[in-house]
Amino acid sequence: MSVLAAPGDTWGIPGPTFLRFYLAAAVLVAVLGAIHRARVLAGSRQPGYDQLSPEQAAYLNGGAALAVHATLGALRGTGSVGVGRDRRLVTTGPMPAGATPLAQAVHNAAGRRTRVADLRRDQWVASALTQLGGDLEQRGLALSPAGRESARRGAMGLLILLAVGVFRLFAGLSGDKPVGYLLLSLAGIFVAFLILVRAPYRTRAGRAALRTLRQRHVHLAPASSPAYATYGAAGAAMGVALFGTAALWAMDPGFAEQAEIQRQALGNSGGTGGCGGGSSSGCGGGSSCGGGGCGGGGCGG
Amino acid sequence: MRRMTGPTGVGIGWRPEIAGFVAELPGLRFVEVVAESVPAAGPLPVGLAALRERGVTVVPHGVRLSLGGAEPVDPARVAQLAAVARLVDAPLVSEHIAFVRAGGLEAGHLLPLPRTREAVDAVCANVDRAQAQLPVPLALEPIAALFDWPDDELDEAAFLTEILERTGALLLLDVANVYANARNRGTDPLALLDRLPLDRVAYAHVAGGAEHGGFYHDTHTDPVPAEVLDLLGELCARHRPPALLLERDGHYPPAATLRAELDALAAASGFPVVT
Repeated sequence: MSVLAAPGDTWGIPGPTFLRFYLAAAVLVAVLGAIHRARVLAGSRQPGYDQLSPEQAAYLNGGAALAVHATLGALRGTGSVGVGRDRRLVTTGPMPAGATPLAQAVHNAAGRRTRVADLRRDQWVASALTQLGGDLEQRGLALSPAGRESARRGAMGLLILLAVGVFRLFAGLSGDKPVGYLLLSLAGIFVAFLILVRAPYRTRAGRAALRTLRQRHVHLAPASSPAYATYGAAGAAMGVALFGTAALWAMDPGFAEQAEIQRQALGNSGGTGGCGGGSSSGCGGGSSCGGGGCGGGGCGG
Repeated sequence: MRRMTGPTGVGIGWRPEIAGFVAELPGLRFVEVVAESVPAAGPLPVGLAALRERGVTVVPHGVRLSLGGAEPVDPARVAQLAAVARLVDAPLVSEHIAFVRAGGLEAGHLLPLPRTREAVDAVCANVDRAQAQLPVPLALEPIAALFDWPDDELDEAAFLTEILERTGALLLLDVANVYANARNRGTDPLALLDRLPLDRVAYAHVAGGAEHGGFYHDTHTDPVPAEVLDLLGELCARHRPPALLLERDGHYPPAATLRAELDALAAASGFPVVT
C-alpha cells in the first residue's frame, strides 16, 4: 500500500515514509559503524605482541602513573632510589646498568629531590612516558586519540541522525502529528549510539597481551607473597605493572608510605591456590618443618 | 599423565613465594611441596601444575600428621596427604618423626620424641596406620632438636633404624639436622651417618641455618653453611641418596644466590646442575 503525501505532512514527507528511510539509514550507519569500530578496537597481534617490558605493561595497564610506579619498583629493587623525611625522592645508588629511558629520567628526577606525585610533570619523565605510550599505540595495543576518534565514527553518524530525528520530533509535535514510532526509533538509535561511542584506551590485542602476561607472571601477584628479592628489579617492576601499586606496598611498605604512593590493586590475583597466601612466616627455631604457610590451623585436616 | 619416577637429582622446595624462580630452573626434575598447602580437592596451584606438565616429580611433604603423637594419627589428615599424593601423582610422600599436638593442644611446631621403646612403639603404630591409608610409600624424616629428653633409652641411630626396620618406611635424611644435632651436642655427625641405613634414604634435605647463643639453629632462612655442604659430601661419598632437596622457607635471597646454593648441592653430590 502506498502512502500519499498530504498537505499536512511534516516537511512534506509522510510519517511512515520518513520512518522507513530514517530507520534504514540508522541501521546502515550503526552496522557499518560497528564493523569499523570492531576493526579499530581489535588492534593488531603481531608476533610477540605479548612480549612487553614491565614499563610497557604498566603503561598499558594503568597509564603513565602506573608506569612511573613500576619504574620506582625497579629502582627500589636495585637500591638506586629512596625517599627522604621530607617525602621527596633521593638517589641512594648509581644509575643501574641498562636502565630504560624512563628509569634514567626518574633516577635523575630523584637526584633533584622530586616528589613521586610530581614525577610526571618532570620534563624528561614526561618525554619518556610519551614515548612509551606512543610505542604501545604503534604496536596496536592501545589507541591514539586519533584512533579513538576513528572508532567513534559510527557513533558520530548516529548523532547526526539523532539530531535530524529530534528536529522532526519537535516539528511533528508542533503540527500535532503522532510521534510515537519516531520516539521509539530515537530511543533505539540513542542506545546504539551509547554502545558505539565507547572507545577504550586498550585494544583487544592490548587486553589479551595483559591477560597473557598476568598468567605468565601469576607468581608476582601479591596473593603469592612473592619473594621480590629473588625476582629482582625486573620482577618487582612487572609485579607493580600487572598487579598495581599493591605490589609496591607489599614489597616495600616503608618506601610506599613515605613516598605517599596510593595503594591500588589491579588484575585478579590469579588463583594461586594453597593456603600460603597471607602469611610468609617461617617455621620456628629448632624444628625442621617445611614451609610456614600453614600455621594457625587455617588448612590441613 | 605419565607415572612419575622417584625423585632424582637436585631439587628445591616449591613455595608460592618463589614459584617464578622454580619455574625457570631448566634442569629441575624434582620438587617438594608442603602437603598441607595444597587443597586436597584441587586444583593445584598454577605453578605446581605447570611443573607437573613438564614431568617434574612432586613429593608432598607433610608437617601436621604428628606421627610421634601418643594418640592414633588422625585418619582425616592422612586422607588429605593421600589425596595430595594422588593429585600430584607422587611416587612417595614424606612426614616427620615428631609430634605437633598432644592432648588436643596444637604445638604449632615439630617437637622431638623421647627416644624410648614406648615412643618407638607409638611411632611404628602410627606409621603402620598411615601406610595402610597412603597410596604410595612413606619416607620418614627425623627432626632437629636442641635438647634430648632425660629418659632416652636409645641413641639416634638405633631409634631410627628400629623404626625403619619395623615399618618398612623409607628415610628422608636431613643433612642440616644431622649437622645441627651433632654440633649442639658435641657429637660426631659422621658417626651417625655410619650407623644409619643409608640404602633406605629416599632423598635428603639440605637447608641453611645460623648460630644464636652458642646453638646452631636449622632456620631454613639462612644460607647453607660450608660445614653442611661438607657433611653432604661425606654422605654422598658413603652412599649417595637418589635425590637432594634444598629447603628454603623464608628470607628468600636474590635469584643468583639461590642458584649458587643449588649449584653447590650439585657440586657436593656430583649430580647434574639444574640451574
